[in-house]
Amino acid sequence: MEAGNAKSNPALGFLTVLDHPQHGLFGGYLLLNLAGRPLEFHCTAPIRPNRAQQILYGPTLEAFLYGEQIGATLIAQAKTEALVVCTDREPVLAVRQLVEMPVALLLAGEGPSGLVTFAVGRNRLAVPQRADGDRQRIIERLAETAESLDLAEPFTRIREAIEEAQQGVR
Amino acid sequence: MTTRPAVQHWFAPPAPEVRQIELRLPVAVRVTGWNHQLGRAAGPAVLRIALEMPPPRVVAVAIRQPPVSVRSFRFPEPVEDAFSSHASDPSGPDRGYTPAATDPLRGCPDCPPTTADCPLPTDPPTRSAGTPGCADCPPTRIRPPQDVVKLADRLHYLLQPPLETLLADGRLPMPLRPFPFQLEGIAFLYPRQAAILADEMGLGKTMQAITAIRLLLRRGEIRSVLLVCPKPLVTNWQREFQQWAPEIPVLAIEGEQAKRAWQWRLPDVPVRVANYELVVRDREVLEAPPEGAGSQRVRFDLVVLDESQRIKNRAGTTSAVLRGVARRRSWALTGTPVENSAEDLVGIFEFLSPGFLSPDLTPRKMGRTVSDYVLRRTKDQVLREIPPLLFRDADLELAPQQREAYRLAEEEGVIRLSGLGAAATIRHVFELVLRLKQICNFDPASGASSKLERLEADLEETATSGRKAIVFSQWVATIRRLAAALRRFGPLEYHGQVAHGRRDGVLRRFREDPAAQVLLMTYGAGGVGLNLQFAHYVFLFDRWWNPAVEDQAINRAHRIGASGPVTVSRLLVLDTIEERIDRILQEKRALFQTIFSGARGPRRLGLTEQELFGLFHLRPQRAAEPRAA
Repeated sequence: MEAGNAKSNPALGFLTVLDHPQHGLFGGYLLLNLAGRPLEFHCTAPIRPNRAQQILYGPTLEAFLYGEQIGATLIAQAKTEALVVCTDREPVLAVRQLVEMPVALLLAGEGPSGLVTFAVGRNRLAVPQRADGDRQRIIERLAETAESLDLAEPFTRIREAIEEAQQGVR
Repeated sequence: MTTRPAVQHWFAPPAPEVRQIELRLPVAVRVTGWNHQLGRAAGPAVLRIALEMPPPRVVAVAIRQPPVSVRSFRFPEPVEDAFSSHASDPSGPDRGYTPAATDPLRGCPDCPPTTADCPLPTDPPTRSAGTPGCADCPPTRIRPPQDVVKLADRLHYLLQPPLETLLADGRLPMPLRPFPFQLEGIAFLYPRQAAILADEMGLGKTMQAITAIRLLLRRGEIRSVLLVCPKPLVTNWQREFQQWAPEIPVLAIEGEQAKRAWQWRLPDVPVRVANYELVVRDREVLEAPPEGAGSQRVRFDLVVLDESQRIKNRAGTTSAVLRGVARRRSWALTGTPVENSAEDLVGIFEFLSPGFLSPDLTPRKMGRTVSDYVLRRTKDQVLREIPPLLFRDADLELAPQQREAYRLAEEEGVIRLSGLGAAATIRHVFELVLRLKQICNFDPASGASSKLERLEADLEETATSGRKAIVFSQWVATIRRLAAALRRFGPLEYHGQVAHGRRDGVLRRFREDPAAQVLLMTYGAGGVGLNLQFAHYVFLFDRWWNPAVEDQAINRAHRIGASGPVTVSRLLVLDTIEERIDRILQEKRALFQTIFSGARGPRRLGLTEQELFGLFHLRPQRAAEPRAA
């Protein structure tokens, strides 16, 4: 992915993971242009941690699965580099260590501890403390669209698309 | 007191004997053999204990990280500039994204999350585009139709932003805020190759179709649209396009044949509007094969049929010509997809998707089969706050003169039909029915009319209240008689004998002139497409064969924008042919309900030849039983 790509084709990334009780974890990554139109969509087959992973990764398992295994894989598949990647699942933030673009958690309520929270338009976002520098980058990159942005809405689309894709598989 | 006696010792103790005891013990030495051992030199003894152990057995637990399987879908870069009046405006880039809470296109204040319960204002002129809405209405999503099979195509629709977002784009100004159910209608049409928007009259099918067309044109998914409608509605469509999509050029096909041929072949015309008759007349142009390497057949990305019941007859020329128009998408707009029988719907589907629907299906099965292609909403379902429609049927007796004329006409007619025997046809029956209906309106000799008496009485009341009324009749002659009798109410006439060029003026005057209190219309001329929601009373002076046509007439007044309750008076003369026809109309309504509500019902309720003869207690003497109406 080249930096110029993001400049010529500005896009926002929306990354989430669905935990299906029967099938496991599904990841979905949607890239939208600034008008909200879909540019790319990537989704994973379901993955399920084995017993050894559950024991040995312990409390870091979610961050490993959501961030490294799913998040990084999905972002690597995209042709378009996002200005900002938004997620609604906190463990996905772990992907930030593996990618260059800022990754922000969309907060629905109070943010968990250890995060730096801030507002963009009517959206409340958070970034890990170790990536505090991302806050300013996100604010700058979303400045033009901040007032009209509803960063929660695209996650509805991702969930429906994953469901549709799985129905197609089944 | 006792005295103790004195004791005396009686012997002396002996002296102690002393003995000596030898204390030295003898020591004996025993030979044990240990002494030899003690003489030996002491030396350390080393005990060897083996400490080496075999290596422990290790169980390796592999933390495998198999590659995650990913499916990827890429979509074409949206084309957003087509026909945008602000396309070159640098201040208006794609900034819409998702509407904010104050977006004018979102629902309504304090509404629950269902369309039916969304109490939007009911008068469009008061719903300005800048009226704040609420964010509580669920966003309207575009869903892929069932006949889109490819996953990538389904996702393409599913991943589109909500309709509110698309319409909130500053480059798509909307003059009025659409109702939520209208947004659903737009989202229904948008992805479909074949669709019927069958909303009840007055719910804004025109606006929904125009907005869907607008979005598709803007997206570049379609480039040429043909809209076919009844002739009186051509100007109405142009006006509606001007209101709802002013940036889209609309060309009305009209004029001499050569001019029309040129108009049909003009490139880069996004929307053409033509009436049914012209399309049939120009069939050679539309069906013409390519005229050489440089020319191409006239073809469209989308053909929309307004009042599509016009093609219900599959054997008709209109249906055949329109089926032959080259196109990719086909939409039909009608408030009455079933007018007479389920075969009407089959006829429309022959245009939409030939062979998809069989006339042999039961109404219930037919309803299930078409469910993904047809969207039908009624005012009761979606407009909780539209003013009510009140029916005040007037069951009348014939005036004495009418009674005698009616009796004679019926007796003579029945005798004549009986006399014709096997030669009697539907046409003979129709002639008798029409004759009797005319007598129910007016006595041919004296002009006596119980209906007119009742109508005059009612109009006195409506005129006093300052309300306007529309009177429908089947015949121009009846309209003329009524106009003469109702002169004090300032009647205006609107029927087939009023020149097309004058008709808009008639409607304008009815709307604006307080002295024009009554509009007299025929069903044929005034039944479709007109917006007369400022009228509060509708009188059906005589009854049409078809309940759908009556509904269309009523809905000229009872539609979005109606400023108050609409009262409908159906004038019915008891114990006459009108009462018998009324029963058949009720049965036809039942058929419609069966198909579009899934309710169980009888299979065929159309007016058959047998039923027509049955109006006079006769039976057709031919074997065939064609459908008559």
